[in-house]
Amino acid sequence: MDKFGRWAELLRGRKMEADLSKQRSKAGQAAVWQARLIMLVMINIAQLWILAATVDAALARHYSVLLPLVVASGVCLLITLSIIKWWRPTRS
Amino acid sequence: MTKNASDESDVRTATAPYQAEFPYERDEEAQVTRREFCNFLGLTSAALFVGAAGFAAKAKLDARESEALSAAHIEGAETLAPNSSLNFSYPTERDSAILVRTADGSYHAYGQKCTHLSCPVYYSRDQQRLECPCHEGAFDAATGNVLYGPPPRALDTIEVESRDGQVWAVGRTAARPENGG
Repeated sequence: MDKFGRWAELLRGRKMEADLSKQRSKAGQAAVWQARLIMLVMINIAQLWILAATVDAALARHYSVLLPLVVASGVCLLITLSIIKWWRPTRS
Repeated sequence: MTKNASDESDVRTATAPYQAEFPYERDEEAQVTRREFCNFLGLTSAALFVGAAGFAAKAKLDARESEALSAAHIEGAETLAPNSSLNFSYPTERDSAILVRTADGSYHAYGQKCTHLSCPVYYSRDQQRLECPCHEGAFDAATGNVLYGPPPRALDTIEVESRDGQVWAVGRTAARPENGG
């Protein structure tokens, strides 16, 4: 009976450890998700600014700055795609 | 207390036959997952890139067209009295422009759109300068440069030439911002 009780206690302890680890993992995943979303929103805001600058330059006929602005917007898009495709939280 | 099966707030527990055939979770309809929101931001980013590239491409295309501007005769310029102005269109009918004959008799032509918010500028005979009535900006009649007010750069300049006693518009150039903005 005593031996059985020790086993039960051990199993309970391991289960608690596993639960704790799972909780930590979930919290970590949530943090990564949040970080991804914040970065995506920030990049979107930057792209919005770039679009406004592009329109401004196009209307003012400042053609020399158009290409750098489009390239900057393209780089932002690439970063966005990389965040969506590859920077994912691990499933542990 | 009896429940009304067709009540909007209790639609999920509704028991009418047609509701059983089309069971959808009204609350979940409005929910967005993190993954969906991520994808939405990705699409927004793509749309913003396409917008920027489109604007740039259109501007470049317009620039290529304006490089090959043909000369146009400005009707009535010869009879224009000194210290007065005349409206015309150049290079297309949609591009309104203003020809100014200053007090010394020389001709100067500019795009009529104010560089602040595109209000049409007019020539003030009393002040001998071009003025924008919307936000009180003013431009030099001889150079098109900003004298005061909110416009960030000089007016677009239209080159004029005198050919056989007639005044012709031969080209149009945009000025750089004066304050770098």
